[in-house]
Amino acid sequence: MLVYGFINSVILMMIALGFSITFGISRVANFSHGGFYILGGILTWYGLIKLGLPYFLSAGLSIIIVGIIGAVMYRVVLVRLRGLELSEVIATFSLGIVILELLRGLGVFGYEFRNPVFIDGSVEIFGVGVGIQRIIIVCAGAVLLLILHVFVHHTKMGLAFRGVAQQEHTALSVGINPDQVSMLSLAMGSIMCALAAVLILPLGVISVDEGYDILIKALAVCIIGGLESTLGVLVAAFIIGYIEVLTSMYISSSLTSVIPLACMLVILLIRPSGIFGKSKEIEERV
Amino acid sequence: MTTWKVLPKIVILLVAFLFLSSQAAFAAPAEKGKPIVIGVPSSFKSIEAADGLKAITLAVEEINAKGGVKVGNEKKMLKIESIETRDMEPGVPLADALLANEKLILEKKPNVIIQGPTRSEVLLAAMDLYAQYKIPSINNAVASKFVDKYLSNPEKYRHCFRMFDGKYVVAGLGDVMAKMNKDYGFKKAYIVVQDAIWAVGIANGMNAWYKNNGWEVVGFDKYPTGASDFSSTLIKAKQAGVQVIFCIFDMPQSGILVQQWKDMKIPAVFAGFISPLMGSKAWTTFGDKIEGVINICFDGGNLPLEKYPPAKKFYEAYKKRWGEMQVGHKPAVDYDGVYAMVGAIERAGSLDPDKIAKELEKTNMVGCTGRIHFKDHQYVFGVDPKIDAISAVYQWKKGGKRVPIFPDSIAEGVIEKPASMK
Repeated sequence: MLVYGFINSVILMMIALGFSITFGISRVANFSHGGFYILGGILTWYGLIKLGLPYFLSAGLSIIIVGIIGAVMYRVVLVRLRGLELSEVIATFSLGIVILELLRGLGVFGYEFRNPVFIDGSVEIFGVGVGIQRIIIVCAGAVLLLILHVFVHHTKMGLAFRGVAQQEHTALSVGINPDQVSMLSLAMGSIMCALAAVLILPLGVISVDEGYDILIKALAVCIIGGLESTLGVLVAAFIIGYIEVLTSMYISSSLTSVIPLACMLVILLIRPSGIFGKSKEIEERV
Repeated sequence: MTTWKVLPKIVILLVAFLFLSSQAAFAAPAEKGKPIVIGVPSSFKSIEAADGLKAITLAVEEINAKGGVKVGNEKKMLKIESIETRDMEPGVPLADALLANEKLILEKKPNVIIQGPTRSEVLLAAMDLYAQYKIPSINNAVASKFVDKYLSNPEKYRHCFRMFDGKYVVAGLGDVMAKMNKDYGFKKAYIVVQDAIWAVGIANGMNAWYKNNGWEVVGFDKYPTGASDFSSTLIKAKQAGVQVIFCIFDMPQSGILVQQWKDMKIPAVFAGFISPLMGSKAWTTFGDKIEGVINICFDGGNLPLEKYPPAKKFYEAYKKRWGEMQVGHKPAVDYDGVYAMVGAIERAGSLDPDKIAKELEKTNMVGCTGRIHFKDHQYVFGVDPKIDAISAVYQWKKGGKRVPIFPDSIAEGVIEKPASMK
């Protein structure tokens, strides 16, 4: 239970990280997150199975393509809607639905859409058998967090990201182009979303419907942790991950899908900005 | 002079007469040669429904190639009119699916309906629609309440028929459990099921079967559609020392369950209905992780059964026309459904829905699912395809072979314990 709770928590964190990064920097809630996730998986599958590309080339290309789509979405659509939060949500949500339903219409349904695991086999951890792919996900999650930390704190672009995230107008006054940074944040969030798909989807079969579930999970984790907080995402992912496993173990497995939503509602009631959220907290104080 | 004045009028009248009479002459054969329209309202983004439509198309092509259907003294061609009801897609209200059914009925005016809605509750609601418009239908949603609804008013629902019932899954898999009990002494099971009406219905039936036959059911877990971690169930099953994990799933993520079963080295037989593991390509998709899994093919004709040639013939014809079949439900019964319907129309000698329904009740034909006959407007399933329709239970074995193991009449091998139990 401890082992799988940990693994599930890392999976949740990876699913939500892209959403959180994008919102934290550009304040755009990217509701096409689920669409990008499935697109990342299906592009990898297409490159691998249909075009015969090597696995990692196919995965890399699909991650880049999804990143470009994220950037283009900002440049073409969102730049015109900046500040109109509801319009941003509607636009990104619509794009997500278009991607998912287009994939469904193109024939992505059934059971043959599966990316193979990177390394087949399993190992025992504390007496519990665990597939190697899950261990790879955990390691990748840790590396991703480390890279993100280094990028945000020790690179010029990362500092520009933080500048825009903290105060867009001040950042503009020191020569940082907020639109460019926001576009890059959309690209980065989309890349992380596709990366999560490449790592996680080999555990099962790619299904369009999963795109909708992924969005809800990402939203729940981000709202509980605090929309713009990476630490919040990490903590919230572990809270939900372990509550899910405990519920499944001791109460009822049929309630596991309700848990993220229930946690989200509770947090919205007692702390609307999330556990580590800042922006709403300041508004509340004012 | 007068003649010259009247002549153009005569010519105009003559031309008009010739035109009208030619129209009348052409109109009659056109009406006469009107095809029989088979309506197929279903959720085609479900792979079972999509493959079912392919099987219907195959049957229609075969029948048309032989000259069509004899209705009285006339031969009529078959024509398919399908409509996407989306009833298997999440969030699609029942009313929308019904509306699609009604649109098909009103706009395409089908003479008969085959396959019908995919989701059980939509079929139950659509029965009223088919009764209202008097359209003979052979449906195949697993709705356990179909017969109850038919029997509640047989006169009203006289045009509605169905090919499958979840109770046959319980009967088939119950016999497999009895076999495992006899051969290996198994008597402890864990039920894990998708939280959907049809799946829970079958699992409840199986739970009752276990209890009535002296088995111990250690746990009964329901997972919501989309669940992606089944470790808690597998840990509990392992701790309790169960010998059989019984599962009913059709969601794509259920492939994860089997992978976890293998990764966690759970020493138990994995048996039930897991849709992603059904088709021949599942071995390519999941590899040897599925070795030892026991799966039930709802309609026996969806497997190339060596001991029942009509099933093999259908399977090969389907494969030639559409490629490998990937599902265990719908294509075979849909294919048989077209032939059963055509047989009823020919015997009725008319497209009158009441006459067709009466003839459908008398159906007794050899189909790829077995011998097709109805009781309470429901296909009768049994264990010998020469007597009744059958489900077929098979086990995935080394090298990616699907070996039929039940019923005995079509079995080509015996149940083997998975590697984790040896």
